[in-house]
Amino acid sequence: MNFFELVAQLAQGLVSTVVVTLVCSGTGMAVGLTVAGLRRMGYARVVPFLDGFTYIFRGVPVLVLLFLVYFGLPSVGIKVGPLLAMALSLGLIAGAYLAEVFRGALDSVEASEILAAEAMGMSRFQILTSIEFPQMLRLAVPGMINEFTSILKYSPFAYTVGIAEITKQAMTLTATTLRGIEIYLAVGVLYFLIYRILLAGVHYLEKRYQVPGLGTT
Amino acid sequence: MNGWSGFQRDLVEQMPLILAGLRQTLQLTVIISVTGFLFGLVVFYFSNSPYRWVRSLIQGYISFFIGTPLIVLLFLMYYGLPQWGLKLSPFLVAVIGFTMNVAAYNAAYLTTARNGLDPTEIESARAQGFGRGQIFRWITLPQVLRLSVPALTNQCIGNLKDSSVAFLIQYTEFFARIQELAATNFQFFKAYLLAAGVYLGLVSILVLMARQVEKWTRLPGLGR
Amino acid sequence: MALIRIRNLVKQFGNHTVLDGVNLDLQKGEMKVVMGPSGCGKSTLLRCINRLVEPTSGTILVRDQDIMGAEVDVRALRQSIGFVFQQFALYRHLTVLGNVMLGLRKLRGMSRAEAEAQALFQLNHLEMADHRDKYPSQISGGQKQRVAIARALAMDPAVVVFDEPTSALDPVMVREVADLFNRLNREGVTLLCVTHDLALASQIANRVLFLDQGVIRADDTLENLAKHHPNDQVRAFFGEKEGRS
Repeated sequence: MNFFELVAQLAQGLVSTVVVTLVCSGTGMAVGLTVAGLRRMGYARVVPFLDGFTYIFRGVPVLVLLFLVYFGLPSVGIKVGPLLAMALSLGLIAGAYLAEVFRGALDSVEASEILAAEAMGMSRFQILTSIEFPQMLRLAVPGMINEFTSILKYSPFAYTVGIAEITKQAMTLTATTLRGIEIYLAVGVLYFLIYRILLAGVHYLEKRYQVPGLGTT
Repeated sequence: MNGWSGFQRDLVEQMPLILAGLRQTLQLTVIISVTGFLFGLVVFYFSNSPYRWVRSLIQGYISFFIGTPLIVLLFLMYYGLPQWGLKLSPFLVAVIGFTMNVAAYNAAYLTTARNGLDPTEIESARAQGFGRGQIFRWITLPQVLRLSVPALTNQCIGNLKDSSVAFLIQYTEFFARIQELAATNFQFFKAYLLAAGVYLGLVSILVLMARQVEKWTRLPGLGR
Repeated sequence: MALIRIRNLVKQFGNHTVLDGVNLDLQKGEMKVVMGPSGCGKSTLLRCINRLVEPTSGTILVRDQDIMGAEVDVRALRQSIGFVFQQFALYRHLTVLGNVMLGLRKLRGMSRAEAEAQALFQLNHLEMADHRDKYPSQISGGQKQRVAIARALAMDPAVVVFDEPTSALDPVMVREVADLFNRLNREGVTLLCVTHDLALASQIANRVLFLDQGVIRADDTLENLAKHHPNDQVRAFFGEKEGRS
């Protein structure tokens, strides 16, 4: 088996890696936006819950939470599939981090513009979705890139719950060929390529929605 | 159903092993935090080298290690190197792997902080007759380190959490011991909940320590 | 019937009394100027009218309806009052056109085409249609103000209120702002303007209200205020600045 055949074999896990990364990123975005949005809406009663959520999910290692969800929950009668387990561990943790990223970016939205929207007669929710979020998302790009990168880098944990992603393919290949060095080097390069493509994608979106005078220019 | 009592009995029985694992976890965390910091300083120093090729090399290093999973690096050393007859202990693999990875992150934080410095300070230091190394040591580093304290302490907290990955290369740290506990009585939920609680507690302690460090290192007019 | 009728309006922030019994009437089609030194409560007065600030006591009637009533739809009230802020507060993530369209789309529920037509009409009216695709950071202060006015007028408000319209602009712009206000007023727009800019006031109004320490201390022509008002401070306020401008 030459090097390219190895890479071809590894690439079979590519789809799973990408799916895991996207699912966890999507979960993270949804959770992060919800948490940051609820906090911004100023319902004093939910704030302690939001604080508790971000504190806990930023304090527990991904692997521990993944095992708790995937291997632990069945023993209390809740069965969770591998992909859902990834979303409920890595996805929620990413959500907690993204919520903090969004909170910081929301603080950079001009108070005068929010006041102007209020004076116009907009509801709090309309202000959130048409003024604050559109600006915040542009300001939060660097933090979001960090978080998506993190998700990609934690995605190999999916092998521990039986998802046949790149790292899993590499382990199988290593066991049969005993050529761990080439294989894991190839894996490293593969992840790096995914990372660069992801980065290029985000930068493309950033450029496409770029607004002069807002965020990084 | 042996429930809580069975779990508690096993927990007490295995407590010495769990505590030993906890010590391993803390030991690994401290070591990689220190080595990652020191190596990060080295990487950072060369990131501003007058030679273009050195700068590109450092850029590539930082970018590559930020872009690839730590676990792949650990597996490369643990499962790959024996192919060349080089068998490293799980501990050594963890220390080397983490150090290279953490150093890349730390160097990136420091670089970001340097980009925010006032360039006229460097100019005036040069005008005063300071050399490159002196400027780095006496002007750049003190400011950059202070500005990076939150990011660097955050990295240490990340190191503690990520050290749990080491059990995947058979390093018998805390989480590995918890696995053993879970395997003896099949109380997975309780065992992992306990693990999560312990990590949360340790992280909380680190967060408090980090706040102290931030307080000590703050200078008026520099940073937030 | 007065469009806006304010009686005995009081606003306290903690122990600090900002408005201490203000009375004011604004007729439909009128252009009224409220003057006063900074910190006299001008901005608070404006913010009470659309309940961005909740008054402590007193009544405000807008088209004979008490806006403090429990059944009042605050958001509908705000939509009927166009507000142009001191710093204009254009939405940074939207183009000039997008700024004017937003309220039409989200608050009036217009289709994109309808909203665009209406917005372009207003931008044309304020000679800003050429800049429709620019972002706020790409236009000048005076242009921002015109967009803010277009944004307010697009909602077809009963009145447009201005908070210090010239303070964020170059002093040479005052003439232009005054001409614009006069033109809008001639076209039937009701304006309420708070300012401490005497040059502006003298070009858009004969009579002004003088707000000081939370009360309307005078309602008179600028000339009378400068020359014949019994209070030294009032004469100084109107005289001194006239000399400068």
